[in-house]
Amino acid sequence: MLWQEVKTLKETGAPGKVTLVVYGPWSGKEEEYFRAVINEYMKEHPDIEIKYVVMRAEDLATVMPAQFAAGISSADVIITPWAWWIVEMAKKGYVEEVTGLINEDEYVSGIVDKVKWDGKLWGVPFTMWLKPGFWYRKSFFQQHGLQEPKTWDEFMSLLDKLKNIEGVKNPIVTGDSVGWPISDIVEHFIITFGGTDLQLKLIKGEVKFNDPQVKQIFENYIVPLIKNGYFSEPIEWTTAVSKWWNGEYGLYFMGTWITGMVDDPNDLGFFPLPGCKGVVGGADYAFVPKFAAHKEEALDFLKFLATKGQEIHAAQPAGKIPTWTKVPEDKLWGPMQQVYRKIKELNLAILPDLDDSVGGDWQTLFWDQLKLLWVEPDKLDEVLNTLTENFPSS
Amino acid sequence: MREIKHALFFMSPGLIMIAIFVITPIIGTLYISFVTDNGIGLDNYAAVISESSPDKALIKLEDMPRPPPWGALIHNFVWIAIHLPLTTFLGLILAYMLKMVYGRSIVKSIMFIGMVIPMVIGGLIIRFMFDKYIGIVPRLFGFLGITMLDKTWTSYPDTALLSLILGSIWLWTGFSLTIHAAAIDSLPQSYIEAAKIDGASTWQIFYKVVAPSVRSATLTVVVMTMLWDLKIFDIVYAATKGGPGGSSTVLALVMWLYFARALDYGRAAATAIILTLLTLVPATIFIKRVVKRSA
Repeated sequence: MLWQEVKTLKETGAPGKVTLVVYGPWSGKEEEYFRAVINEYMKEHPDIEIKYVVMRAEDLATVMPAQFAAGISSADVIITPWAWWIVEMAKKGYVEEVTGLINEDEYVSGIVDKVKWDGKLWGVPFTMWLKPGFWYRKSFFQQHGLQEPKTWDEFMSLLDKLKNIEGVKNPIVTGDSVGWPISDIVEHFIITFGGTDLQLKLIKGEVKFNDPQVKQIFENYIVPLIKNGYFSEPIEWTTAVSKWWNGEYGLYFMGTWITGMVDDPNDLGFFPLPGCKGVVGGADYAFVPKFAAHKEEALDFLKFLATKGQEIHAAQPAGKIPTWTKVPEDKLWGPMQQVYRKIKELNLAILPDLDDSVGGDWQTLFWDQLKLLWVEPDKLDEVLNTLTENFPSS
Repeated sequence: MREIKHALFFMSPGLIMIAIFVITPIIGTLYISFVTDNGIGLDNYAAVISESSPDKALIKLEDMPRPPPWGALIHNFVWIAIHLPLTTFLGLILAYMLKMVYGRSIVKSIMFIGMVIPMVIGGLIIRFMFDKYIGIVPRLFGFLGITMLDKTWTSYPDTALLSLILGSIWLWTGFSLTIHAAAIDSLPQSYIEAAKIDGASTWQIFYKVVAPSVRSATLTVVVMTMLWDLKIFDIVYAATKGGPGGSSTVLALVMWLYFARALDYGRAAATAIILTLLTLVPATIFIKRVVKRSA
């Protein structure tokens, strides 16, 4: 009897309450914004307590497969930006199927497809970020009489003007981390000069990286900019934010989450490369492991995350927009409303992130090879051939 | 017989733990390393050894001489070739010099900081130490007018591996210093006094009396450092992730890439077995030496 009581207490955390363990990638300020979602859910469900644990995608990939293989899971709900990983886990039989849990027609086009396999749904999308172009400080542009470029020539002229401003080290700062900031820049050039189709074909492996139409984008646009010192050498990406904000660099290519990282988001402006027709977007996805202790409650929380939870999260200064199209635009956080409106005005199609879509170890290779290109642009052929030779075959 | 029974009784908890937590995973890893889609075989080993992708290749020596990548295995050996002698020698000479100065405990404690901080943090510190804008090393070279080294070392293929190795010397010298200091402190003072009476200089005392007398300690440092160099992971993971262009990758990182990124457990296990076999060499030397000494 006593054992039974102890067991119940251990499983529920407090008498009469179910404790859901949620693994997610956010810490610091980002965690605060996500906690707003959790708090709202717990308010609506007083019988449920949510324990949030920070677990980044790479940590999940290291720890969870071993647990799943042993038929256990220390989390009830897992959130990760790696949709490919959820699918891989689903293929091994580790993920609870969620087909029918959400109305797939109510989501941004293509966003749900990334967690589909075998015609079934294995996870749900949460909020998304966009990578719309080069960010700048409006006050900095005003101070130096600069304007957003409308043509490639104007873009080059802007870079030259930035180069000549005293105190500016390079016109564009290159963020460094595992490598994704550089891959985002490259994808933007691919979409601008190769079209939205090229981005999709590269993801599917229908076009190779050493294909002439890809190579010319690097040769004609990216490599000359690197060689002529328009890009800085890679600088740790969060350090780069403050350096750019303080005027050491003119432009910064980054995702919309930057709106939540600067002192005054109303001083932020952005522009895509002239002629660009698409913007890369990526979402976080949530799934329930097959071995979750509280499956029923976990699935309910999953549904909340995919719907109302998105509205709450998008209202936070997290720089995210909902993937659930039922959220009205005026529910977005103020500065993000402006960003979102501009993206709509420019008629930019939302496209999947190239490296996030391909995933696996190729993603790491892609990041690493682009980091190499940034410091040794003469190795273009070697980089493109390496990316082609190692692209996953299926 | 009774003594053996007693010994077995007291050893049994340890033996059971070793069987569960050491032997079983080793057997499991060994088994997984031979399992392929086509049944049991050496395919995983063949694939790991013949891999040509710069981030996972073990040996990549075509078109030499050129800067890295040279392959993870070669990078490990380069690590040993530079890190091992420098760390051992620095620890030995520092231990000897510190014996002659006041406040040596404070200096030793400072040197030992590198050993007590987590290696992931060590990796991040290395990254900042070699950063063009905030790192002391590029700034020093910039100050000296050597502009080719006034850059973020971890971002360039010709300097990334070297920056990690040099950084790891700072992290690991505390170990060499501590072991050597203990050995030097235990030397009979009469050895040194006799050498002094014979007119030996400080340097002669060091290499003719002290260094040969602490050979056992040096061997311990050499073997432990070699093991550390072979299984190095945290520093590389935190500072460069093996890049750029695979120029600083190491065996343990390759294993992690197969395991956590490619989700290819067979190849990850094969890499782990290769790594284990390599570490067995210095480990065996060390164990033989210990057994010989205690016999």
